[in-house]
Amino acid sequence: MTDKPAISVQDLTKDFRVGLRGVKLRAVDHLTLSIPRGQVYGLLGPNGCGKSTTLKIVLGLVPATSGSFTLLGHDSASPEARARIGFLPEAPYFHRFLTGRELVRYCARLSGVAADRVDAATDEALELASMTEAGNRRVGTYSKGMLQRIGLAQAVVHDPELIVLDEPTAGVDPVGSAAIGKMIQAMRQRGKTIVLCSHLLGQVEQVCDRIAVMDRGRLVLEGHIDEVLAQRAVHQISVEGLTPAARQAAEEALSRHGAHVLKVDHPRQTLEDLFRRLVTGSRD
Amino acid sequence: MFSRIFWIARVTFLEALRQRFLAFLLLLAAAFILGSVPLRSIDFGHGELKFLADLGFGALFLFGSILAVVLPSQLLYGEIDNRTALTLLAKPVGRGEFLLGKFFGSWAVLGVFTFALTALIGIILLVREPDVVARAMALQVVPPEVSVLGLFEHALLQWLRLGIIVSVALLVGSLAQTFLYTVVVGSMAVLASQLVWIAQDTLANPEAVLSTVMRGALWLTTRIFPNLQGYNIGETLVLGQSTVLPGTVSSLSLSAAVYLVVILFLACTAFRRREI
Ligand SMILES: Nc1ncnc2c1ncn2[C@@H]1O[C@H](COP(=O)(O)OP(=O)(O)O)[C@@H](O)[C@H]1O
Ligand SMILES: [Mg+2]
Repeated sequence: MTDKPAISVQDLTKDFRVGLRGVKLRAVDHLTLSIPRGQVYGLLGPNGCGKSTTLKIVLGLVPATSGSFTLLGHDSASPEARARIGFLPEAPYFHRFLTGRELVRYCARLSGVAADRVDAATDEALELASMTEAGNRRVGTYSKGMLQRIGLAQAVVHDPELIVLDEPTAGVDPVGSAAIGKMIQAMRQRGKTIVLCSHLLGQVEQVCDRIAVMDRGRLVLEGHIDEVLAQRAVHQISVEGLTPAARQAAEEALSRHGAHVLKVDHPRQTLEDLFRRLVTGSRD
Repeated sequence: MFSRIFWIARVTFLEALRQRFLAFLLLLAAAFILGSVPLRSIDFGHGELKFLADLGFGALFLFGSILAVVLPSQLLYGEIDNRTALTLLAKPVGRGEFLLGKFFGSWAVLGVFTFALTALIGIILLVREPDVVARAMALQVVPPEVSVLGLFEHALLQWLRLGIIVSVALLVGSLAQTFLYTVVVGSMAVLASQLVWIAQDTLANPEAVLSTVMRGALWLTTRIFPNLQGYNIGETLVLGQSTVLPGTVSSLSLSAAVYLVVILFLACTAFRRREI
């Protein structure tokens, strides 16, 4: 069982009919993909390339036009498979009239958490998402970051094996995004499989083991993050106190071994690092 | 399965209450009924109770129908537009369970509405009863009598009738793409069901001259649409002025139950095919 991929998609195609004349719009184009278990898998691509549609098809929410797929080795429609997954849809809105805690409890019940475990599971999920305090407020009053976090809490309350997160950091400030990144890593450490759609490439690079890149419904790249990113032919050396004389000597020494310097410049810190050093955190 | 339907229904109920739509319509209907109580001074004599009952049941019917069409449509589209339906249906929740949860949640809200208004109507009738009876005695006509059991039976029938409307709204909502369309088509279906008795009467009238096509169309209408007018027997039940045939209430309830099951089955089937 466990050697079966978490999600397997074979030659999947999805056409939407749009407009009154029913013009076909191909959202997913002969996609074949296999997402292994126990890893964080990044699904990347520009807006409208078919990431969300693919996930919705796999979760049994939208019918496919053609192709086949399995979820944890089962048919997606089967309740066994769906009881073992957690899903955070993109731009989530939840029942605005419930409090965060009520919402998570509700989701726990629907996901089949045993009645005597519901309270404990709810507390744990709220804790994981740092929503314990805000849990008593109505969801309608939440900020975007809190909505994503309560979404995360409802997705993990039943301790699923596979967690699918569709743009969990959209519209969230960098500190909040970093917090979500930490939650993803915490869940990975518990042996969960996580599928992450995100436009925060920096974060994807940090947390994902494998990535797939889609463009216009097609798969354009797939592989282990280190493999796809490494430029094996080039090396980088960081040096302090490099005088012009030292630089020249170094270049001469290198050229004697047939190596040559391509580029010398100052490393630059990321805006994200700078931002996170300057500010303390959001008030959520 | 039943526990999931129960939880969805419960949250639906809670959401509807917190949206205050129920409170608004309830207050409106109550204000309508109470506001018309002073009109009785135009002197309906011993017909006063009949006037009050007609008015109360009319308000119950009108505002109840509005609530029964708008509430489930709003709750269904709210969930689909806000994508909460996506979150729920990705869980081990069947489409049918989801829709039935919406149905029972909305129906419970209508139960609150029906029984609260019935209680109000009952109180008004009981308060006015001694006066009216005294007047009828003076005129030596048979005094009307308010039947509490009748009130209860009537409320039950109205609740069932509103349940049918809720299920029709959910059926339309499962097929349609927009909230407005659902409300419009749902209201037309209710209106049609309200007028079905005309078709039934025409068919039953031996003197009516009808072409075969017309006859067929009328017959089809009476088969498709439930005759909702048939549930308006409040006056008979509550004031007992003409006798209700024994078994009327149970046969009406039974036919309502059959309609409910059939319409809900169709709604679930339609909802299963819907793209969320
Ligand atoms: N329900 C729908 N009806 C019509 N077109 C849709 C629908 N859902 C998505 N699309 C289209 O399918 C394409 C892929 O969308 P989506 O999967 O949401 O992209 P992504 O999540 O990668 O940004 C887009 O062009 C979008 O407009
Ligand atoms: Mg998307």
